[in-house]
Amino acid sequence: MDRDDPRRKAAIRTGLLLLAIALLFFFGIIASRFIDSPLVSTGVVGGAVLLYLIVAIGRHLRK
Amino acid sequence: MSSVPHDLVVGGHPHAHDDHAHHPKGIMRWITTTNHKDIGTLYLWFSFTMFLVGGVMALTIRAELFQPGLQIVQPEFFNSMTTLHGLIMIFGALMPGAVGFANWLIPMQIGAPDMAFARMNNWSFWLLPPAAIMLLLSLFVPGGAASGGWTMYPPLTVQSGMGMDLTIFAVHIMGASSIMGSINIVTTILNLRAPGMTLMKMPLFCWTWLITAYLLIAVMPVLAGAVTMLLTDRHFGTSFFNAAGGGDPVLFQHVFWFFGHPEVYIIILPAFGIISEIIPSFSRKPLFGYASMVYAVAAIAILSFLVWAHHMFTTGMPAASILFYMYATMLIAVPTGVKVFNWLATMWKGAISLEAPMLFALGFLFLFVVGGFTGLILAIQPIDIQFQDTYYVVAHFHYVMVAGTLFAFFGGAYYWLPKWTGHMYNEKLADWHFWLSFIFFNVAFFPMHFLGLAGMPRRIPDYAQQFTDWNMVSTIGAFGFGLSQLVFLTAVVKCIRGGAPAPAKPWEGATTLEWTLPSPAPYHTFETPPVVK
Repeated sequence: MDRDDPRRKAAIRTGLLLLAIALLFFFGIIASRFIDSPLVSTGVVGGAVLLYLIVAIGRHLRK
Repeated sequence: MSSVPHDLVVGGHPHAHDDHAHHPKGIMRWITTTNHKDIGTLYLWFSFTMFLVGGVMALTIRAELFQPGLQIVQPEFFNSMTTLHGLIMIFGALMPGAVGFANWLIPMQIGAPDMAFARMNNWSFWLLPPAAIMLLLSLFVPGGAASGGWTMYPPLTVQSGMGMDLTIFAVHIMGASSIMGSINIVTTILNLRAPGMTLMKMPLFCWTWLITAYLLIAVMPVLAGAVTMLLTDRHFGTSFFNAAGGGDPVLFQHVFWFFGHPEVYIIILPAFGIISEIIPSFSRKPLFGYASMVYAVAAIAILSFLVWAHHMFTTGMPAASILFYMYATMLIAVPTGVKVFNWLATMWKGAISLEAPMLFALGFLFLFVVGGFTGLILAIQPIDIQFQDTYYVVAHFHYVMVAGTLFAFFGGAYYWLPKWTGHMYNEKLADWHFWLSFIFFNVAFFPMHFLGLAGMPRRIPDYAQQFTDWNMVSTIGAFGFGLSQLVFLTAVVKCIRGGAPAPAKPWEGATTLEWTLPSPAPYHTFETPPVVK
């Protein structure tokens, strides 16, 4: 792909978004241990992971 | 529709600029390559090498268990073998194997010139050998390699020697490699599909990998977080999981299995994709119920996040939680059943031929269903309480991982070898490979059901006399299965070195885009994207 290929820019955008999600889950699971109730905070991280999956996969299913 | 008939593909230059394919020769080609086919080849060879290394460890375990009494290795070393065997087979053999298929096939199946991030692709692969070396070197450090099982449960892993640190570091590196590979795959599929190749026209293999990559991006960071906390518990005075400091070891199990159960599907979904390519090709019929297959894969992926605590029934949990995890686990049988039904319906009244890829696909179908049913049995908590940590569980997950994923990989390798090498493989050798693998696999692992039912615990170097007979049978089967893989190695090497030239489309029923390319596939393909109508 050339530097000014629009697909390249779109690919970088997608890649950075996915990297940000991965980093969020990594730091999120560690941060959840420092919140008063680890079970509740772990549940929040788990819920976020599930929501991400439902949105990420679900939005492609109709295309 | 599941695939793109060739008359619907127009324009593009399937192998444009192949005459300009300047790339380094020799070792530097493989170290510096950014070509998806080269990197796919590297992944596949790495995976097979690790499969042999993990296999030797399995044979060490089985040799020790041939009869009661300690004969060959010390108990500490035996525990390291069970731990490293699990880690190497999962992170070193099965996952890289699936990524190898993805690298080779996804760009060709969607009409893309390469992966979206070609340099990152190179890096993703080259992180793996140092991680594998680190795991193996841990055998030689003071205290020996990690020996607490591949699940790395504290408090044992908080207390063990520096082999555990190397294991944690290796898991971090392999996790980073997986995350980068997954980002690459999602980005490639979403942004580089050929014009007209809508998501619902993609081959099912690409669909299974798209969903698998999403799963990996969600769970690998969670595993990395868990082992990072384990590391700080070991060296930096924290008490995340250390009960003596107010931590909770059971919480590690929750976090680990939040990764660990989806991991099972990360390993099996690409195998489903491969089988979904092979069965229609050799039945000479389109895949039955393409859309329902896609929805079933999505449903399996999402449900896989709701069932992790079925691995922890014996830790104690409220009755409501037990019921939830029990029923949620059983629910996974529904989309899985949809897939099995669709594979069978694809074969129904098809003009089936039984070349090696189809033999492995049928072997997969038969044995994976056995593994699936024993999984359903284990999902029932009152039964699981009895079977927890027995050989019944070992039998169950080997029917899923080996007869499931590994058989699919073998089938996929024979299916695409003509495209990869430009030669047809030796059908007789491949048939021998299938039948020997099929028979010895069952000799090795079916008796483990009986041993588990009789109460033989897993991860022990010695056992009571009454378990002797089935252990002997199992060990004979394991050695037979291990040696059978040399037939595969021979078939692959012979195919690479020569053999009958392969046509562009050696399989009459194959319809996906890679079969529009000549065999072997040129170094650069689809630099000008084809238009799929």
